[in-house]
Amino acid sequence: MREKETTLYFGPQHPGITGNMMVKLKVAGDTIIKAETHVGYLHRAFEKLMEQRTWMQSFPIVCRICVPEPDPNEENLARAVEEIEGREVPERAKYIRVMVLELSRLAAYFLWMGGQSGTAGLYTVPQWSVGDRDYILDLFEELTGGRIYHMYIWAGGVRRDLPEGFADKVLKTMDYIESRLPEYDKLMFDNAIFQKRAKGVGVIDKEKALEWGVVGPPLRGCGIQHDVRKDEPYEVYDKLDFVVPTYEGGDIWARAMVRRMEMEQSISIIRQVIEKMPGGEYYNKVPTPLNWYVPPGEAYVKTESARGEFGYYVVSDGSLKPRRIHVRGPAYVHGVSLLENILVGANISDVALIMNSLGVCPPEIER
Amino acid sequence: MNQDLSKENKTINEIKNTFHSAETKLQRNNRIIVKLRSDLIPPFLSYAKNYLSFNHLSHFSCVDWIEDNEFELVYILYSYEKNLIVIAKTRINREKAEFVTIKHLWRQAETYERELHEMYGINFIGNDRLNEFILEDWDDTPPMRRDFDTVRFAKDNFYTRPGREDAQDVRETITQKSGEKIPDFAKEFSVRNLK
Repeated sequence: MREKETTLYFGPQHPGITGNMMVKLKVAGDTIIKAETHVGYLHRAFEKLMEQRTWMQSFPIVCRICVPEPDPNEENLARAVEEIEGREVPERAKYIRVMVLELSRLAAYFLWMGGQSGTAGLYTVPQWSVGDRDYILDLFEELTGGRIYHMYIWAGGVRRDLPEGFADKVLKTMDYIESRLPEYDKLMFDNAIFQKRAKGVGVIDKEKALEWGVVGPPLRGCGIQHDVRKDEPYEVYDKLDFVVPTYEGGDIWARAMVRRMEMEQSISIIRQVIEKMPGGEYYNKVPTPLNWYVPPGEAYVKTESARGEFGYYVVSDGSLKPRRIHVRGPAYVHGVSLLENILVGANISDVALIMNSLGVCPPEIER
Repeated sequence: MNQDLSKENKTINEIKNTFHSAETKLQRNNRIIVKLRSDLIPPFLSYAKNYLSFNHLSHFSCVDWIEDNEFELVYILYSYEKNLIVIAKTRINREKAEFVTIKHLWRQAETYERELHEMYGINFIGNDRLNEFILEDWDDTPPMRRDFDTVRFAKDNFYTRPGREDAQDVRETITQKSGEKIPDFAKEFSVRNLK
């Protein structure tokens, strides 16, 4: 007998959702037969606002596109404008940028660990990981003045130099985080409950992953080794030694393992950056930041964020203000076409798990 | 700086040989810009995907060139095999903004087309899902068009809270309305330093 179909609204306030968005599910019993993503709860028209502000005034806007990980946005916009203008960035600033990006990646992974295990019912991990993430936020606070939004990377370099003794603090924090990882292994990754909930759930077809536009950890969780930091090295990633971990399976478990392995790589990158960081200038000053005419041109730049390829298409028409800034976040594909597809056939209780494993961040979709 | 641009030049030659009218430009290493007539875009994208291994639709954007009365559609394709980006561009009429869908080539293009339909009012023929995406009950000019006046929109749709039309000093307004006396210690916090 065919079970009765029901419509279920998952979100926008559901605690398992990764932000304010809604998935409209059509379910038969416990199984999803159709999923539709509805966004718009966080639309703030950033791209329109930026067309009416000067280039420098756009930096405090872009970081607000993603709460867990704002720095790739700043770095992308800065690099795009520098590419259009042909502005050189001091070597020291490049190293500082990589350090900030990797710290932000670690912070994002801690938040992901909390969300991912929370959706599987392991409520100790979120308490720990949010606490450990705070140590990274403390570093950001000292460096930039802001814990969440930093507005630190901008055109020409970074806003200020490292404070005295900051490098030591970063290294000590890295030692602490590294010592904590085995604890998380015991609590989360070796946990039978998490493994049972994650293995074989939310599978992405390896053959289709590239064509569907899957990027970041979900792509590497299909066993495909692609990372913007290696494919098209930006800043100083080509001078650093790191590997791009992959895992076979394409399920939640594979994505979790990829992220877990990447955390170690990030710690290693941060240590290398601090060791190799040269002295000198940290900012190639824009003469008059609020009266800065960027020559006509266009650029497409991309960064590997914690959730995958983050792209910015930027067009300048030679005026004070950007002609067009169009943001492509990884969630734009993961949260709509991919999510709608892989939710079909899944269980209602797995929706939050799958969303978290894809790293869906709604403000990226609607900006 | 001497860079090896052989793969870029090889791809440009392949594109030129197939699409003679294409204007190609080597922007920098890993970036090729191809300008095409609008009717050649669908065959070009199909060719790039199936024969040149550009199988990743990285981005799909639109730029409003209101002074030329045109929209510029920008398709950004990436080849994992070649590690190369092709930026394919074309211009369409702004008044009768219409183009064909490419969702049969990349399913994720559907999302981009829904956004561009909503924000620029471009109708993508063949895309049956151009429904409400980000905006809710929108019947004004598509907001990302450059002739959309944000100040006018804000004035039409939002209002100042009654009692806050003046210098936004709530304390002063309340005092005037209710006749209540402000304690001395609070006067220094007031914007106008009430006597």
